[in-house]
Amino acid sequence: MPLSLLKSGETGTVKRITGKDDTKRFLESLGFTVGAPVSVISEISGNMVLCIRDTRIALNRDMARRIVI
Amino acid sequence: MPLIIALAGNPNSGKTTLFNALTGSNQFVGNWPGVTVEKKEGRLRGQKDVLLMDLPGIYSLSPYTLEEVIARNYLLDERPDAILNIVDGTNLERNLYLTTQLLELGIPMVVAVNMIDLLQKNGDLLELDDLSRRFGCPFVSISALKGRGIAEAADEALRRAKENIAPAPVHSFDDRVEAALRAITAELGDEIPAPQRRFFAVKLFERDEKILPRAGAARAAESIERIVCAAEEALDDDAESIITNERYACIVSAIKSGYRRNSAEKMTQTDRIDRVITNRVLALPIFAAVMFIVYYVSVTTVGAFATDWANDGVFGEGWRLFGLRIPGIPAAAGSALAALGAADWLSSLLLDGIIAGVGAVLGFVPQMLILFFFLAFLEGCGYMARIAFIMDRIFRKFGLSGKSFIPILIGTGCGVPGIMASRTIENDRDRKMTVITTTFIPCGAKLPIIALIAGALFDGLWWVAPSAYFVGIAAIVSSGVILKKTRLFAGNPAPFVMELPPYRLPTAANVLHSMWERGWSFIKRAGTIILVSCVLIWFLSSFGFADGRFGMVAELGDGLLAALGTRVAWIFTPLGFGDWKATVATFTGLVAKENVVGTFGVLYGFTEVAEDGAEIWGNLSAGFTPLAAYAFLVFNLLCAPCFAAIGAIRREMNSAKWTFIAIGYQTGFAYLVSLCIFRLGLLFTTGAFGVFTLAACAAVVLFLSLLFRPAARAPAVRTSTV
Repeated sequence: MPLSLLKSGETGTVKRITGKDDTKRFLESLGFTVGAPVSVISEISGNMVLCIRDTRIALNRDMARRIVI
Repeated sequence: MPLIIALAGNPNSGKTTLFNALTGSNQFVGNWPGVTVEKKEGRLRGQKDVLLMDLPGIYSLSPYTLEEVIARNYLLDERPDAILNIVDGTNLERNLYLTTQLLELGIPMVVAVNMIDLLQKNGDLLELDDLSRRFGCPFVSISALKGRGIAEAADEALRRAKENIAPAPVHSFDDRVEAALRAITAELGDEIPAPQRRFFAVKLFERDEKILPRAGAARAAESIERIVCAAEEALDDDAESIITNERYACIVSAIKSGYRRNSAEKMTQTDRIDRVITNRVLALPIFAAVMFIVYYVSVTTVGAFATDWANDGVFGEGWRLFGLRIPGIPAAAGSALAALGAADWLSSLLLDGIIAGVGAVLGFVPQMLILFFFLAFLEGCGYMARIAFIMDRIFRKFGLSGKSFIPILIGTGCGVPGIMASRTIENDRDRKMTVITTTFIPCGAKLPIIALIAGALFDGLWWVAPSAYFVGIAAIVSSGVILKKTRLFAGNPAPFVMELPPYRLPTAANVLHSMWERGWSFIKRAGTIILVSCVLIWFLSSFGFADGRFGMVAELGDGLLAALGTRVAWIFTPLGFGDWKATVATFTGLVAKENVVGTFGVLYGFTEVAEDGAEIWGNLSAGFTPLAAYAFLVFNLLCAPCFAAIGAIRREMNSAKWTFIAIGYQTGFAYLVSLCIFRLGLLFTTGAFGVFTLAACAAVVLFLSLLFRPAARAPAVRTSTV
């Protein structure tokens, strides 16, 4: 399911990032690779603050929808 | 030729702190990704011919934003003699991703694991020897903030640069990937030196288009493509993702043995703060409260107190220090000049020109310092990046990205760094729109204009000063909507992805230094550019043709400036301030915005303007009503910024055409908004109706239609890559 459906405090594992563009590459270089555990620190209507590989990354909803967990 | 050591690392990993410590310079350090947008060089302390190069932070050698392009091009084209790779020890996994790429460049390198003090505090263990072995490159631990281990790190990098010891990357990928890389290496031209062959092979595997012509492998393009396709099929992923996954896999296995974490605590302090600050219910109220406190305190309460002291005391009638009466500068200078028996023109130049003009500007320095203090704190504590996140949801509705908010916030201090901060915005269109709209927010130099109008004309009415910021935000938001609907800017803003730094209490030294640095640049300008402008204004206003010959005139109205101003004042007649003094002030504001106040200081006699301005302004009666004054304020807030900011716009746009579009849009927008405020205000308050009222109505209709018309079709989506 898309990452955007997670609630604050929940965790998941990255399965795939859909699409193919610069943003996907950027997300991957930030550590969003297959198998990486990700947890949601907070969430405002789909926009989220995530914790991945010891870093906090903020994403908007469109981006969070593209990450499949 | 001096040796060059480049500082490379992730954003916000402490490069600039290390740079300052190693060179003894004082570059600004903040706690948000993207503080350094330009490379800076400095001399390594104690070494005559070693240059240190501070690069903007990058996450990888495949750049995403403009400042990443600067760093990557530097590393690839200039090839420094050594790289000092700074790695945030509290976030090893992500930081080492860049390290694995840098190692392949074939440049001598040392990895400095920063924030070792924090690791030790957490009880985490780092096996530096183990990491050195696993990555084929020396690892050292440092604390840039406390200055621990930094000299050793620099010495090691220097030694490797002198002896030209390139690292031998030992990290390896999946066998199938390695086989493909070996096959590509075989296709490379012979001119590629051995230490760089792996870098080119990996880049060709990733299909990096910019690398192909450099790799001397153009003729082999087809066979390389076949190799890559085969690997993609075997591993069921695209080439770029394969390499990224492999790099992370290497890192994870390497730090499993080299880094032992005492992870008793699952939630960090920062996570707990973020739960509250980026909470769906509390985020906006907290943000509004922070903004209100910052601007309310610096503009009205404490700021107004400090400014009153400076204006009425130091540059006014005098003030008291422990019961001792200290005369104001104008009075002291006046009596000194009288005692010396100075010529009339000389005392006029000093009192009416320099002290009145420059004093008018300097009087606002305390207020600015308070604002700069708050800004430095916001930048240092880590809230800045959260603001971008919180505002993204709202700004997106107006066609802007949340990242546009950082330049705007910095722009409340000074527009020039604000405009430069737009470089962290990835998308070219979003960036241009941010550059155009950033200066709508009142900068520190416009603060005196606001304070003067609010204080002198509205008798400190509480809503006038905050309304200036509100007008600024409204101008930004409506411009966002209007511009987004034109063909130039059509298309959605780039998706929002941003790292949020951990919260840290900024060091007092850093906050005070940044406050002083920015304040000092205003003081310096008051002593140079403003001083010259004031002398010029004084000369032009006090000299002129009276009774048929040129000389000093008793009435300002006979001066050259009055004659000049009156000629062009008609431009502003529709806006209600078609008076030559206001006209001159507006034009001098282009040199520097403080000049508007400085000019009024010279033309009206400063002490009177600041203390009981209402009387003098009142004498202008119908020509300059509070309504006209407000229109004047709004025009000066929104119109073309000062020359320094126009220069910054020119640099960021990198095109004369776009600079003209920006300046033209700003000035046109300011003119129409001012026109509407004055003419419609007049209609509602006095019922006056005329040609200009019609024009104002037309402007409103135009504005609404631009705001609500359907958006232009987006051209093919293109994310910027340079």
